[in-house]
Amino acid sequence: MTNRFVVTPNLCIGCRTCELACSFRHSVNGKPGQTRIFAVAGPMKEMWVPVTCLQCEDPACAKSCLVDAISRNEETGAMEIDQEKCVKCMACVAACPFGCSIHDQQHHMIVKCDLCGGEPACAQFCPTKALVYQPVGSAKPKVVA
Amino acid sequence: MVHLTIDGTRVQAKEGEMLLKVIKQLGIDVPSLCDHDAVEPFGACRLCLVEITKQSWDGWKKYVTSCLYPVEDGLIVNTQAEKVVEARKTLIDLQLARCPGSPEIQQLAADYGITQTSYEPKIDSDNCILCGLCTRICEHMGFAAISTVDRGPDRRIASPLDEPPPDCIGCLACAINCPTNVIPYTEKGNKRTIWDKEFELITCSKCGRKTITRDFARALSKMRDIPEAYFEVCDACHRAETATNMGRIAGWSRREEAAS
Amino acid sequence: MAITKVASPKDLDKLQKQCQTEQDKHKRKLMVCCGPGCLANGAAEIVTEFKSQLKKKRIKGFSVEAMKETGCHGFCEQGPLVVVEPQGTFYTRVKKKDVERIVEETLRNNKVVDDLLYTAPDEKTYRDYREIPFYKHQKRIALRNLGHINQCDIRDYIAVGGYQALAKALNKMSPSKVIEEVKTSGLRGRGGGGFPAGRKWESCARLEERPHYVICNGDEGDPGAFMDRAIMEGDPHSVLEGMAICAYAVDSSEGYIYVREEYPLAVQFLQEAIREAEEYGLLGDNILGTDFSFHIKISRGGGAFVCGESSALMKSVAGEVGEPRAKYIRSVQKGLYDRPTVLNNVESYANVPVIIDRGGKWFAKIGTETSAGTKAFSLVGKVVNGGLIEVPMGTTLREIVFDIGGGIRNDRPFKAVQTGGPSGGCLPDDKLDLSVDFDTLTKAGSMMGSGGMIVMDEGTCVVDVAKYFLKFLVDESCGKCTPCREGLYQLYLLAVKISEGMATENDLDKMEQLSGVIIDASLCGLGKSGPNPFLSTIRYFRDEYLTHIRDKRCPAGVCKALITYEVDAQACDGCMACIHACAANAISGKKGEVHTIDQTKCDKCGACFAVCNRHAIKVA
Repeated sequence: MTNRFVVTPNLCIGCRTCELACSFRHSVNGKPGQTRIFAVAGPMKEMWVPVTCLQCEDPACAKSCLVDAISRNEETGAMEIDQEKCVKCMACVAACPFGCSIHDQQHHMIVKCDLCGGEPACAQFCPTKALVYQPVGSAKPKVVA
Repeated sequence: MVHLTIDGTRVQAKEGEMLLKVIKQLGIDVPSLCDHDAVEPFGACRLCLVEITKQSWDGWKKYVTSCLYPVEDGLIVNTQAEKVVEARKTLIDLQLARCPGSPEIQQLAADYGITQTSYEPKIDSDNCILCGLCTRICEHMGFAAISTVDRGPDRRIASPLDEPPPDCIGCLACAINCPTNVIPYTEKGNKRTIWDKEFELITCSKCGRKTITRDFARALSKMRDIPEAYFEVCDACHRAETATNMGRIAGWSRREEAAS
Repeated sequence: MAITKVASPKDLDKLQKQCQTEQDKHKRKLMVCCGPGCLANGAAEIVTEFKSQLKKKRIKGFSVEAMKETGCHGFCEQGPLVVVEPQGTFYTRVKKKDVERIVEETLRNNKVVDDLLYTAPDEKTYRDYREIPFYKHQKRIALRNLGHINQCDIRDYIAVGGYQALAKALNKMSPSKVIEEVKTSGLRGRGGGGFPAGRKWESCARLEERPHYVICNGDEGDPGAFMDRAIMEGDPHSVLEGMAICAYAVDSSEGYIYVREEYPLAVQFLQEAIREAEEYGLLGDNILGTDFSFHIKISRGGGAFVCGESSALMKSVAGEVGEPRAKYIRSVQKGLYDRPTVLNNVESYANVPVIIDRGGKWFAKIGTETSAGTKAFSLVGKVVNGGLIEVPMGTTLREIVFDIGGGIRNDRPFKAVQTGGPSGGCLPDDKLDLSVDFDTLTKAGSMMGSGGMIVMDEGTCVVDVAKYFLKFLVDESCGKCTPCREGLYQLYLLAVKISEGMATENDLDKMEQLSGVIIDASLCGLGKSGPNPFLSTIRYFRDEYLTHIRDKRCPAGVCKALITYEVDAQACDGCMACIHACAANAISGKKGEVHTIDQTKCDKCGACFAVCNRHAIKVA
């Protein structure tokens, strides 16, 4: 994995463009889908943070999946859900300590960030660069997630 | 890689891949009821029957269920051969006789021009098509709480001795993956009931939302070494926690910057 | 007796001589058949009585050890059987009270007890069983030792040359030579499929993956068939030896015999035989002093018919639910525990030692070109001489039914013979001259199957037969796949509809169409051959079906909905027996007056017909 998300909460203005971009990128049958990224306000709303999957080294989602439907895409480094394999038992949704496996209630499927195949739409559309997807060590990260 | 022809289209496929997968990737409509990627192919519903032949077979043809047939070099597959479509229609007709009240099977039958079964419909049918997905998924997940019992037309899905299954952890995988939606369950407050067994649903300690059952969480942490504490909070509250933590760290760095 | 392990072929020769000497001590031997049929008729009691009589009477020159409890002698119809060898004196239907006479007359005074001898329907009496037509037309290879050796004694087996074939294979033949020999013999699987055994062994031997397994299918599930049971109980060592030879050929060190739970005696005798063979060093580690080791375990099945199907059987052996899997990958490659596995049935293995001993060429000369050797059948039904037989392949059905079987009981006309078990088929009288071999039977719409042969006379209704076998298959279908589970069930319901006179000719077309789909779409052999009971009867007896459908009549008088019981006023003497027998209270009449049957009440149970001594109840 050469690229990773760099999140700078100080720059996030809570515009939710990232969510929109994600939704559109993951549209189902031409309609916007469930976003895999959430702009979450801090407790006092004084600060917004874009929260999405961190593609952990030892991910609880994959560990909790008893049918081995979650595996790493070696090209992008993303932990991806094989929708054909998934049995929708909610184990990963419950197990992820960051809340980044999501139950898409509308389409009744479990989704998570797949890094859009290597070019995450959220980062591309972030107007303030609060969220960038860049090679490791290319700029001094403010907050590395 | 192997090369084969499906309905006139030449395609490549990985060795060992099952024919049905390749057919579906081509977008060809071949019905299947018992196939699921999470478990091994089973070959119970037989709807994915196709006709196969090879140049070298001298016109000899074979009928196989594509979910179980590994691709072979030079295979010529006809998914819509007359005999295949006729067999499929008969099989759906038979399923409709077994499950006359299942909307899913009625729809499938209608797709094949069958509005009423031509066979003797089953009285008091439970509308279960016996694809075995529920038992196979349950077993594959490591619980094997339910299984098929009895033989022949009396075959059915049941818990041991028809009592609340001791090994069931209430994950609902059986019910959710049932192609005809015939496994009932109820949820009321923080109680979920399935297979006559009552489960406690974990209530998010922050927002009170209900997540998975306590038994499932315990099983997961035991089987896969996941801290039980992870399961106490719902995914939305997990995200809020994440945001707070990341915000706090950002706050520190802001202070550090100010100090420097 | 202390047992020393047989450590070389020489040791075995020595042991054989020793065992033969033991046998030769007895000038005469008394064979009490303890096969399934004779046991059911009280053979155990006869054995006990012989033992106590012999102890009491002390016959000079005849010790208790000269009495053997043998496996099935074959002529079950006439059991319990007692044979005095070497004369071949053949006593039939022996009862406990006859034992004393046999001991006194035959054993002490060397006289034959005439009234216990077999008398054929033509009044001819036979002294030597080998002269009886039932035996005369047979050739016994797989059943060679049945009825001639003590079923539970390895020394008896060794005396007749047992384990010599194994010694020959281990010491004088390479594994590939053994396979070559079996291929030359043309031995085809006796379980029904008829796949060439040698080729099966060869493909297993070629696979590099280890371990290899050798399994013996003893899950004989066909109704009326008991060949394999008779061999397992009567000559268990021949099966063990055959398996060991196979294991040597395919480099396996672990084997299983799958026996159904309904055969407790077979399980017991096989267990005993395995223990004995291991004690003698003829099974287990370092067999006959070589570095070849082979262990056999017994796996007991629950008696599900489908577990006779190879993939279901292997699942059952592995402790899983016995359900078939698709065999696009053959079980030779991916068998027990997904390892290369050779599976043959009991009779196939029993043939192997003889093939190795006498050579594949010798075996190939017996039988027909494509079906070498002999085949055991259990001949049952409306035939005069029922029992266990073995004939060379190519023998005609007529020879089996009429020469060996002695024709139809009560001289009624022959109607059909059903071969191949439930999924086999019925062949009519114009097929009687067909040669009994794998290919001819299949071509005629039936099959060899494991060797059940049911003879039917004119009192048998083919619709009823089809109904019976379809019901059997419906009940025994594992229910995994739709065409077999639902299709056979619907086929059965349609057959019921015909037998009730409710069907139309459209239903026949529907049945034929459905049968085609079941054959094409079913997962395993049970489903694929499931429609056979219907297809083979409709092929040869369409008229009888049509009579049921068009005329609403059952010519054989079997289908209850289509028959009526009536009182023949001429014959009825008003004895009231039928009135008392009728559970439905459908018969009325006073003593001495002609009775009448109220058809609206009659449930056609046939009780009146059975009790009437004057044959005054008529079936119409």
